[in-house]
Amino acid sequence: MGDEPRESSRLKLTDREIERRLRFVDLRSEDLEHIASIRQLVADRAENYATAFFDYLSKIEEAAPLFGNRTVLEQARAGKREHLNGMLSGKYDRAYVEQRIKLATLYGRVGLETRVFLGAFHHMLHVIGLDIIRALGREGLERATECVMSLEKVGFFDLGLMIDVLIDERERVIGLQQAAIRELSTPALQVRDRLLILPIIGVLDSQRAKQLTDNLLHAIRANRAKVVVMDITGVAAVDSKVANHLIQTVAAAKLMGAAVIVTGLSAEVAQSLVALGVDLSKLNTVGDLQGGLEEADRILGYSLQRI
Amino acid sequence: MPVPILKQGDTLIVSVQAALTDRDLIDLKNELAEKVGQYRSKGVVIDVSLLDVMDSFATRTLRGIAQTTKLRGANTVIVGIQPDVAFAMVQLGLALEGVDTALDLDEGMELLNRRFGKGELGGG
Amino acid sequence: MRVVISHDGDVVTARQVGREMAKQSGFYGSDLTLIATAISEIARNIVSYAQSGELVFSLLEQGARRGLMVVARDEGPGIPDIELAMRDGFSTGRSLGLGLPGAKRLMDEFEIQSEIGKGTTITMRKWAR
Repeated sequence: MGDEPRESSRLKLTDREIERRLRFVDLRSEDLEHIASIRQLVADRAENYATAFFDYLSKIEEAAPLFGNRTVLEQARAGKREHLNGMLSGKYDRAYVEQRIKLATLYGRVGLETRVFLGAFHHMLHVIGLDIIRALGREGLERATECVMSLEKVGFFDLGLMIDVLIDERERVIGLQQAAIRELSTPALQVRDRLLILPIIGVLDSQRAKQLTDNLLHAIRANRAKVVVMDITGVAAVDSKVANHLIQTVAAAKLMGAAVIVTGLSAEVAQSLVALGVDLSKLNTVGDLQGGLEEADRILGYSLQRI
Repeated sequence: MPVPILKQGDTLIVSVQAALTDRDLIDLKNELAEKVGQYRSKGVVIDVSLLDVMDSFATRTLRGIAQTTKLRGANTVIVGIQPDVAFAMVQLGLALEGVDTALDLDEGMELLNRRFGKGELGGG
Repeated sequence: MRVVISHDGDVVTARQVGREMAKQSGFYGSDLTLIATAISEIARNIVSYAQSGELVFSLLEQGARRGLMVVARDEGPGIPDIELAMRDGFSTGRSLGLGLPGAKRLMDEFEIQSEIGKGTTITMRKWAR
């Protein structure tokens, strides 16, 4: 079951952004020279290094998702080899960055944790570093160190991209989850013609209040609702902020010609809100849901008089 | 760009287009005031469903239109405020206080009849 | 992307340009209307109080975050009491009518600089979720 990531990462970098990132790691022309000088050496053993990377991961339990899917693993291996060649190319342009982002997105989609990736990446650089030092021998120790340092700069440039992609992927998933939760938790139910019931449960923060209002307003239009019964019995803490969200929601619904009845606001809470200076006169409150529905009927009843 | 005003019995109906300039809105106010007087209209329905944004100026002007036509004996109802627009208005702190609003043209006509009319659409 | 504001027709243009750029930044749905409304308020202030000015729109990128920045500049009379102008009259239903506190509520970041006789610069930013 080939699971090709359906969209590329949301991370989009301009040439200027790329230049800035290269400046962050202080990549200079000397570094490019050093890298050029070890290019052949590393390229010859690229296969080994890619293998080292994946072998290291295979020993880590959390990395299992990467190995579970053959297609993904093949893509990752190919991507790793391509990446190594890219690291040594000395050219860190848009194409290089895009390749990096593509690989990182792949890791993100299979849920590879950042901390796990960092371990493997470091291991791979470590192995490369040792080889370079061995190859250049004792006389070339200083030069070898410089070359390893230069390669590390590129490594950190890569990490910057990598981490941003993984973070973004994480946020994307969280965003989807939150949206799903919001959808589930604030459905507007149409019970009767022109009447919507909106039971609100849980904590009502600004983000949720905004979502709720948005949903309600669209539901009013879709259902041509004239009355909304908004029940807040299940709202965790009704403070002045929550009250103001409700007042705003009521005002917006009114602009669309819908009357809102708020039920479930206890007398004590109402008193404390008034004491805090909240103007509850804008709200049409009724004790409980049943009373609210009766009030709704009353309001709707007027329009049924016309023959 | 003049806004077309339709007459349906006792009621004048206006459909506001999207890219209306401030000048257009002010012209509309004057036009309506004149026509209400001319036809002795009892009601005015302003449909703003094509407006993608209702800012403070538009809100003030619509309120002004409602007040002006009221002075001439007609009641105004604003209809068709879109969900996103209603939301933005409320965030911006704009309220159409004292002006009737309804979901759409049908609802608007019904509201006018229910409150101010004799229970009959059109007529005369 | 720059929109010159010199008469009320430009307010509409500014809204449309702003909406387009907001779409490019990844905004959708009601956010587009919020942004367009904030732009409308600010652009209108320029027409009303400064006669002319400009709105400059830029796409923002910060890592994976994208957003829109709107900078409104005019060389008008300036705002004498910024604090008063920014006072949120929402709860009392009474504000100076400059729409500034409202626009601030619609955006994520809002900075205003004004000097009497020199002009006003307003910088607003909103990030796409």
